[in-house]
Amino acid sequence: MFLRLIYESFLRQKRRKLLAGAAILLGATAVTAMLTIGVSVGNKMSREMKAYGANIVVAPAADALDVEVGGVPLRPAHSGEYLKQSDLAKIKQIFWHNNIENISPELPLTAQIEIGQTIRQVPVVGYWFHHALDVGGESYTVGAIGLHPWWRLDGTWPRDGSRSEIAIGETLARRLQLQKGDRIEVEQTPVTISGIVSGGNAANRTLLVPLALAQQWLHRPGAVRRVYVSALTKPEDALGRSNPATLSPKMRERWYCSAYPNSIAYQIQQALPHSRAEQIRRIAQGEGKILSHISGLMWLVALAALVASGLAVAASMATAIAERHQEIGLMRALGASHGAIAGLFFTEVTLLAAAATIPGYFLGSFVADQVSQRIFGSGSGVIPALLPLTLLLIIGVSLIGGTPSILRAARTEPASVLRASV
Amino acid sequence: MKKSGSFLPLLIWRSLIHRPGRTAARLAALTVSATVATALLTVYASLDSKLNHEFRTFGANVVITAAGQDSRSSEGTPTELPDNALEAARHAAGSQSLVVPFAYGIAQMQSGAPIVVAGTDVKAAEQMNRWWQIHEVAAAPTDPDAATQSGAVGLVPALAGVQAKKALGSNRFKLFYGGQPLAFETSRTLQTGGAEDSRVYLPLDAFARWTGTRMTALEIQIPGSAQEVQAAIARLRKALPEAEVQPIHQLIAAQAGVASRTRSLLLSSVLLISLTISVCVLASLGASVLERRRDYAVMKAMGATERRVELLFLAEVVLLAMAGLGCGYALGSGIADLIGEINFHTSIAPLWQVAVAAAILNLTIGLIAALIPLKALRMLKPASLLQGH
Repeated sequence: MFLRLIYESFLRQKRRKLLAGAAILLGATAVTAMLTIGVSVGNKMSREMKAYGANIVVAPAADALDVEVGGVPLRPAHSGEYLKQSDLAKIKQIFWHNNIENISPELPLTAQIEIGQTIRQVPVVGYWFHHALDVGGESYTVGAIGLHPWWRLDGTWPRDGSRSEIAIGETLARRLQLQKGDRIEVEQTPVTISGIVSGGNAANRTLLVPLALAQQWLHRPGAVRRVYVSALTKPEDALGRSNPATLSPKMRERWYCSAYPNSIAYQIQQALPHSRAEQIRRIAQGEGKILSHISGLMWLVALAALVASGLAVAASMATAIAERHQEIGLMRALGASHGAIAGLFFTEVTLLAAAATIPGYFLGSFVADQVSQRIFGSGSGVIPALLPLTLLLIIGVSLIGGTPSILRAARTEPASVLRASV
Repeated sequence: MKKSGSFLPLLIWRSLIHRPGRTAARLAALTVSATVATALLTVYASLDSKLNHEFRTFGANVVITAAGQDSRSSEGTPTELPDNALEAARHAAGSQSLVVPFAYGIAQMQSGAPIVVAGTDVKAAEQMNRWWQIHEVAAAPTDPDAATQSGAVGLVPALAGVQAKKALGSNRFKLFYGGQPLAFETSRTLQTGGAEDSRVYLPLDAFARWTGTRMTALEIQIPGSAQEVQAAIARLRKALPEAEVQPIHQLIAAQAGVASRTRSLLLSSVLLISLTISVCVLASLGASVLERRRDYAVMKAMGATERRVELLFLAEVVLLAMAGLGCGYALGSGIADLIGEINFHTSIAPLWQVAVAAAILNLTIGLIAALIPLKALRMLKPASLLQGH
């Protein structure tokens, strides 16, 4: 009888059920969309912030002091220690390997450039421009171009294996009166200027050459001076700022398994022999602060959406139940108990909320995906874990919204209701 | 006509207080829509200023050096800026900008190894570069050698980068510039993960007395959007034609990208939530108007014209919408301020423009919610409505 009453209620009150269901569906759509955006915004924004460049730098542990002003190295070319190029793949094998977005080794030196009869000393930096890094059978594209999206190029980038192509910073090119396509001799090697680079403050004043060519000029095959790493990290909190050596084993494991800039740097340092890895605080701290504020804002907006949707759904449920006071009066007149009426309405509300939330969840996921695609160029997809959460939230607010009306309805005196409707 | 006109407010008032529960439900729905719209639009309107404030975390976004900086002295010291550069830059960059002078040089440690020394207003540099991590170091036993050998120049307080400190060893050390010694004492070290770690920072006037170089670079933090920063750069270039004004492209480009994406994301969220809430409220209000079909039929049966009955219904909705706006605007502004305090640690002031937008939204919702059911009721005969059809 109970099931039949519910079945008949849905069958005979299609308009009312559709109206209440539509309100729940829209509420579920807003909640799902905002939760999906809230969950995915951290990673999306973190990727967006890769435009700031590397957030971790790796240098030889026993390296001499950096002697550079305005990004231009002034240290004698052959001094200091080096890292091995062959070790760099290990960076993509650490625990947080999936968070390593880019790796860009650099080898600075000072080279002799011969233009006509004039010989000058110019700063040179060897890079991987667009390098295929093989790690355990998989190939990843890494290098300086991806790490410096603000660089602008007139021409083409030198090929990574090339020994005859170089790029030149626009300030240096202007000073030396060089143009794209010019052939010059650097360290007695004839090279062609394939492109002129602008937009990079230090790069504007240097020659940008393939790493192998810089190693050849420095007579250091397989050597790199520094490695810049761009990693997806989470904003630092008190634990992130801790010194792992002072932590208990349990906390140390938590620190190690969190994508803090310091813990990723620590793992890189462990993976690369004789290296010193540390966060570039200007980028890592700025990124972390802005990221936490943007994520926090989106979570607060999601919370506002949840509360507002909850109120709207609750109001719809209250209205839908209040409309049925005559029916309730009739049921009471026919002998239905308070508990039976309340049970019937609670079941109806739960079924309606569940039935409307499922399409609302998919609609919300679709809306979030479209928003994400439009703003970030990549979708957010469907997050299955949000379905039970949305179901719980929407059923919860529907029941909360409907409860006062259900209880009031259950307490109704049948005679007064039936008399009022005559 | 006059009599019925004065009767209308009384009728509206009676209608509103006759069923206080129903009126309260409708008022609550319109308050929710106004609250959500006010809160989200206020946060959206203040987002740019909040984000621009956050971008200050990255430090200087413009660097000024002397033109032809690449022609350095034999010791690698960059060319000096003209004396008036600091004042001119402060004036051109605007009062909100932070301008910090720097002078760089290459000194030698006692071992003869080179080290970069930088003269600056250390306090201002710390204020601009909030990402600098400063560690206090334990006071070392006095090294009388360094103090006595410093001669007339004295013991200069220094901020040493962590790598520089490691290379120098003691808290008190001596550096040489062009053969001229200077003794330093450091009580703090600096860690950044960048070139600063290998430098020793000292007050600008002490640097000038020691090296004869006054100022080689100005680092400027210009607050505001990418467009405002570009405008300030143009002013700086005009004010200092002999200097090279270089924006730090990575910061300016990334700031524009992040700000624009955050703005789009929040706007999408505002539209999505407002639309959803509006439709929910619309459905709820529409149902409550339909619920009053008997009132409509009684009034029609008693001879009221269709226009007058509709006017009564619409006036009620307008009153409720405006009352909802009043409550919602106050509540929404409070929520926006709370979001600002929680997330950005600064308040977000209410904006009158947002009240106008929320009023338009609330009135639109209210009127649509009343007009659609009224159109449906208009098609029905009063007699059939009173019979319960």
